[in-house]
Amino acid sequence: MRGVRHPTTWLIVGFLIAASRLEGQTPGAETEFLRGFIFADVLYKSAEEGMTEGFFIGQTVAHANATLSENLVFFGEVSVTARSSGFTLAVERLILRYEFNDPLKVSAGRYHTPISFWNTEFHHGLWLQGSVSRPEAVKFGGSYLPVHFVGAMLEGNLTDVPLHYSAGFGNGRTENLVGAGSAGDPLGSTAFVLAASLRPRGLFGFRVGGGAYFDRISEGGVEVADERILSGHLVWDRNNVEAIAEVFHVSHRELGLDEATGSPSWYVHVGYRLPTSVRLTPYARYEEISIDEQDVVFEDVLADYEAAIVGIRYDFESYAALKAEYRGEKVGDVGRTDSWFAQASFAIPVGGS
Amino acid sequence: MSRLTLLTLVFGLATLLASPVRAQEAAVAIVVHPETDVDDLTMQELRSIFRGDRQFWGDGRRVTLLVRAPEADERQTILERVYEMNEDQFREFWIGKMFRAEVAAGPKLVYSSDMARELVTVIPGAITFVPVSEVSSDSRVVRIDGLLPSDPGYPLR
Repeated sequence: MRGVRHPTTWLIVGFLIAASRLEGQTPGAETEFLRGFIFADVLYKSAEEGMTEGFFIGQTVAHANATLSENLVFFGEVSVTARSSGFTLAVERLILRYEFNDPLKVSAGRYHTPISFWNTEFHHGLWLQGSVSRPEAVKFGGSYLPVHFVGAMLEGNLTDVPLHYSAGFGNGRTENLVGAGSAGDPLGSTAFVLAASLRPRGLFGFRVGGGAYFDRISEGGVEVADERILSGHLVWDRNNVEAIAEVFHVSHRELGLDEATGSPSWYVHVGYRLPTSVRLTPYARYEEISIDEQDVVFEDVLADYEAAIVGIRYDFESYAALKAEYRGEKVGDVGRTDSWFAQASFAIPVGGS
Repeated sequence: MSRLTLLTLVFGLATLLASPVRAQEAAVAIVVHPETDVDDLTMQELRSIFRGDRQFWGDGRRVTLLVRAPEADERQTILERVYEMNEDQFREFWIGKMFRAEVAAGPKLVYSSDMARELVTVIPGAITFVPVSEVSSDSRVVRIDGLLPSDPGYPLR
């Protein structure tokens, strides 16, 4: 839906009001962080000659939770993204979940694919993440990983073992590879995803886990390759240190052939919250994507990528942060390009404290 | 006996008598709904519940977390001992948890110990914390690591 302006605003407001009306039936107490948030950001980019630069209105994201009954819960996230020709409205997540107990929760809807820690930790809330943008492997609109997933999911927290798991099936990637189709799967290739993350109780802030994703990729309505994605993550986020490392391996096997190609990627992101009264967090990230030249799916779509990022985050208010970032990128055989970013990102609790 | 010796003795006696009372007043009691079938929680179980990792009791009832509004001393105790976070980290923690759809709702705010005591008795599955000096006789206080708030070594002080 392009060119939506006032209707979009009203839709978001209506979405949040409707969700707040559905708030659980707990009498006499308000929720500390209520049921909804709006995340937004404004970005300034300065780049080398020939590259687009200037001010960018980032995504405005509205998010709402609602408890429909003791066991039935709803989560929704809609975004409005600024384009050169107007705005694009999208339903990013829409999940209806029945929670039997901690280890067993069944849901259906549109998710962020649990194949990446970053993808399911920060979603579209730029205020939540340490850097200006996501790693290239999990960026929205990218083709390397399917960041969205539409289908049904089984998930839960095991109580004896501090393990969170997810298992789901649903629509496979669309032909542009960006993610799952939200209006059925015309190609008929069901995708499967499995993920698990271990959070040791005695080591709060530490997580280790991984995932697997299986799909069949089509081009021009013809099935061309089987896709298998494996991932792993290692996270330490406690006190002053935020450290995230992820690895991915995307494998494609052309139908009729025995051999598969492999395109690995990894990144390491480290931030350190300075122990000062002014809340400053310097951070750095290095990331790489190596595309197999023989890859039948990624050829003509993706190229090798590497980036080194250095930045600083300044939380000047409880719900607002400024980030300044330098990014040196190299895509394919093109030489390195340098860009500088300044971003103001914030979260607005709807009616909350 | 000199005046100084007498003063020292009186001061020492007062300190001895006052210390246990102060410690007892500083302890924070964990209180659950009267029908919740739990008498004892380990510190790890308490952390799982307060951090929203465990959202259901053994009988299938959903946990409702009642938390004192900022500035209360008992809130600081819980933030330090159970969450191991400061106020900023606590806020970001719950926003992130809700945004990731890990929990349906954040903690419910209560503005006084009276309100906490009252709501924990009317909301099935509720759990809250109050200063031990404000625990009423009908409150269902849970042992932590086998200890009551009056016991030496109780972890929530």
